Amino acid sequence: MAEFSWIARSPLEHALVVGACGARGTAAGVSLTEIRNFDLIQVMARRGKAAELAKAAETRFGVAAPGTPKAVRVADATLIWSGPDQFLVLCNGGKHAIEPLSQAFAQSGSLSDQSDARALISVSGEKARAILAKLSSLDLHPAAFPAGTAAATSVDHTSVNLWRGNDRPDGQAVFNLLVFATFAESLWHTMLDAAAEYGVDIRHSEELG
Amino acid sequence: MRIVCPFCGERELGEFTYLGDAKPARPAAGATENEVFDYVYLRDNVAGPMSEFWYHGGGCRAWLKIARNTLTHEISSVEPAAGVGARQVGA
Ligand SMILES: [Zn+2]
Repeated sequence: MAEFSWIARSPLEHALVVGACGARGTAAGVSLTEIRNFDLIQVMARRGKAAELAKAAETRFGVAAPGTPKAVRVADATLIWSGPDQFLVLCNGGKHAIEPLSQAFAQSGSLSDQSDARALISVSGEKARAILAKLSSLDLHPAAFPAGTAAATSVDHTSVNLWRGNDRPDGQAVFNLLVFATFAESLWHTMLDAAAEYGVDIRHSEELG
Repeated sequence: MRIVCPFCGERELGEFTYLGDAKPARPAAGATENEVFDYVYLRDNVAGPMSEFWYHGGGCRAWLKIARNTLTHEISSVEPAAGVGARQVGA
């Protein structure tokens, strides 16, 4: 029988054009980077197993999984709160792929592989907050949304998992958005339109910030 | 109107969907036709404090039970609906 193989492609493959976009003449106010080729696993506690799941997560990752809207960095992954008694595991290189994680949470959690079901967009730059303010009602001021804060929210009526990662080397805040693959192109265009007046630097990368 | 989700914090109304009155309780098996009809179709038209179900579909996707005054939109309590967030409601 013929081998059937899937080739993973970015949902932004057509929409994303690397380079400068929008206002010219000054340094780009916004950087939009799509992160490709990541592993993403949704972990949810089974009914009555939340405490057990938390313990299993601590055994696996060496830290407590976020129980409130936070994103927690460990050596080789980021644990992102996504709702009560559930979180996402983001990594690359298959370090925490579905098979090993299924074993780790066999007694307490239900898992779902979201690796190719979401697009990951990273927004940074001097005007990052300004463009997100056009699309989101969350207060992203550093006093209200410090690094490591996460939210399950809607950006331009599109469900996203939003979190603030580590700052860029130049000190600028980095906001990460996980969006369903089928909504990614629409959100991308909306974000580009919102950012155009500030000048945009568009890239893609396989590096998780 | 804003709703303070017990999981997410304060959010705009647009992230939530209204289900309706939280009061009707499903009748036991063997209930009379009138009781079932009442449960399925009949609703009070409350002017004042009311207990309601809301869904945080644009956020954490939790079902919430909210006490709201239908005259003023003042919300006096928000709690997870039963079955949401096993740890919080001890299910
Ligand atoms: Zn919520």
